[in-house]
Amino acid sequence: MGAAAKSALLKKNPTYFLWVGVFFLILTLVVGLLYYATQKIDYVWRWYRIPQYFVFYDDVEIRAEIEGTVKRITRKNGDAEVTVADVGEEESYHVPGGEIRVSEGDFIFSGDVLGSFGKWRVGILLQGLWLTLKVSFIAILFGIVIGLFAGLARISKNPALKWSAISYIELIRGSPLLVQIFIWYFVLGTLVNTLLRQQGIPLIPPLWFGVAALATFTGAYVAEMVRAGIQSISRGQTEASRSLGMTYVQSMVHVILPQALRRIIPPLAGQFISLIKDSSLLGIIAIRELTKATREVVTTSLQPFELWFVCALLYLVLTFSLSMLLQYVERRTLYQ
Amino acid sequence: MIEVRNVYKTFLLPYKVRALVDISASVEPGEVVVVIGPSGSGKSTFLRALNRLETPDSGHIWIDGIDVMNPKTDINKVRAEVGMVFQNFNLFPHKTVLENVTLAQVVVRKRSKKEAKNTAMALLEKVGIKEKAQVYPDQLSGGQQQRVAIARALAMNPKVMLFDEPTSALDPEMIGEVLDVMKTLAREGMTMVVVTHEMGFAREVADRVIFMDDGAVVETGTPEHFFKNPIHDRTKLFLSQIL
Repeated sequence: MGAAAKSALLKKNPTYFLWVGVFFLILTLVVGLLYYATQKIDYVWRWYRIPQYFVFYDDVEIRAEIEGTVKRITRKNGDAEVTVADVGEEESYHVPGGEIRVSEGDFIFSGDVLGSFGKWRVGILLQGLWLTLKVSFIAILFGIVIGLFAGLARISKNPALKWSAISYIELIRGSPLLVQIFIWYFVLGTLVNTLLRQQGIPLIPPLWFGVAALATFTGAYVAEMVRAGIQSISRGQTEASRSLGMTYVQSMVHVILPQALRRIIPPLAGQFISLIKDSSLLGIIAIRELTKATREVVTTSLQPFELWFVCALLYLVLTFSLSMLLQYVERRTLYQ
Repeated sequence: MIEVRNVYKTFLLPYKVRALVDISASVEPGEVVVVIGPSGSGKSTFLRALNRLETPDSGHIWIDGIDVMNPKTDINKVRAEVGMVFQNFNLFPHKTVLENVTLAQVVVRKRSKKEAKNTAMALLEKVGIKEKAQVYPDQLSGGQQQRVAIARALAMNPKVMLFDEPTSALDPEMIGEVLDVMKTLAREGMTMVVVTHEMGFAREVADRVIFMDDGAVVETGTPEHFFKNPIHDRTKLFLSQIL
C-alpha cells in the first residue's frame, strides 16, 4: 500500500489501524490460549526430536563383499579407495570423505566393515510430504480432465452422454471416498493386476489406484462446477460464436470454456484443497503419504502431539501455497 | 438472395406462443429490408430463423440458393456467409477488440493470422475505432462495442448481414454512430435485413419495409408507401403510436 493510498484510507476509515490492532490481539490471544492449553496437559514436549524425521545424518558403513587382504589404501581429496585382493580376485571400495577402519595388509572376511562415512538422508515425514504432493498433483490434473469432459457430457443433449454423466456424478458424490478407495484398490486393482500377471506385464503399484480414486472423486465435483460455469456464460456468447459459423467444439474451445473456467477458479481452489486433505485416506491402501508417515513415526517415537501438529502444519503449507497459486492465476487471467 | 416460404414457429416454453405464422418474404441481392413491428410481434424470431439460431417448425428458407431448413445442410457454412449483429453486441469479453474480429476468420475461414489481422484492421478503420484494437470490450462504450460487433461480422465477408435491434441497447447519443456505419454498408450494396425501431433509418435507407404483428407479416412496401399510405388499420395504428 502506498503512502497516498494509506492516508486516503485513513481519511475514509479513521479507525482502520485500531481494527488491525484488534485482529492481531485476537490472533495473539488464540495462539496464547493454545500454548497455555498445551502447558496444562500432562505431556513432555520434545520438539528437538522432530527435525530428525525431516532430514537426519546417517552413518553409512562400507563392507567388504569378498575375503582377502587389504592390498592398497589410496587417499585423494579426502576420499579413500580401499582395494581388497585374494587369489585371482580383486575388488575396490570407495569411501567418500570418511574414516577407514582397516590398514594395509589386514586380512578380512566377507562382511567386515572397511570404513564408514556420514550422509544426510531424507526423513520419513519429508518423504510422506513429497508423496502427498505428488499424488495430489497428478489427481488434480486428471480430475480437471475428467471433470471437463463429464461436465460437457452433463449438458449434452445426447441421453447416453448426459445420463452417464449424471450417474457418475451422483454415484461418486454420494458415496464415501474411503469406500471408493477400497473398491479401486481391492476390487478393480486386484482384477487389473491379476490380468497383468497372466500376461506377464509388470503390475501397477497401489499408488496409481489411489491416484485413480482421487481423480475420479474430484472429477465428479469438477464436472458440476464446469457445468455451472458454462451455464453461467450468457447465451449471447454461444449465439455470437455460432452465428459466425463456428462449430459447437470451436465455440466451446475459443469462446465459452475460457470464460467459464476463469469463473470457476475459486470453487476449484476449494475442491483441490479438499483433495490434498482427502489424500490422507490413501494410507489405508499402503501408500505412505504424509498422514500414514506421521502415524508410523508416532508409533515408534511416542511423540504424538508434536508430530500431529507438524503434520497439520505441513498440510497447511501445501494447501495455502495452492490457494495462493490459484489466486495468482485468477488475477493473471483477468481481462485487461 | 433470401427466400422465405410459409414458415411457422411456436414456442412451447415457458408458455405457448405462436411466434411466426405463415411467414413468406424475399430479399433481393443488394436490397436493404427493414422489419418493424411492436414488441413480441416475432421480428427477432424471424431474423434468427434466417440463420437457424431459431429452428422453425415448418416452411422453407433459402439463402443464396441453399436450403437452410434441410437437416443435411451444413449450417455452419451458411452462418459463415450470413453476418449477424445482436442487440447486446455479444462481443467476447476475454478477447481484445482485434482478437474479436480475427477469431472467426482464423478458426472458420482458416485464414493466416497475418491476413486476418490485416482484414480486421481495415474493417476497424472503416467503423472508426482502429485505435482501440488492443483494448478489451468492457473498456468501450456501447456504440463502440456495436461497431466492433459489425466489424466482426463483416470480417467473414458475408453475403448478407442481419441486424437484430442493433441500437436498442444504446444511449441515444451513440445511436447515430452505429446507424452511420450501417448506412455506409447499405450504400456499398450490402444485402441487409434490419430489425429496428429507428423509423428515421427505415425511411432513409430501406428499400422495403416489412411490418409484422402477432407473428405474421401485415404489410410490405417501400418506405414511401409504408409511411405515407399504409393500407392496413394495424399499420396505421402502430405508426400513429410511434410517430
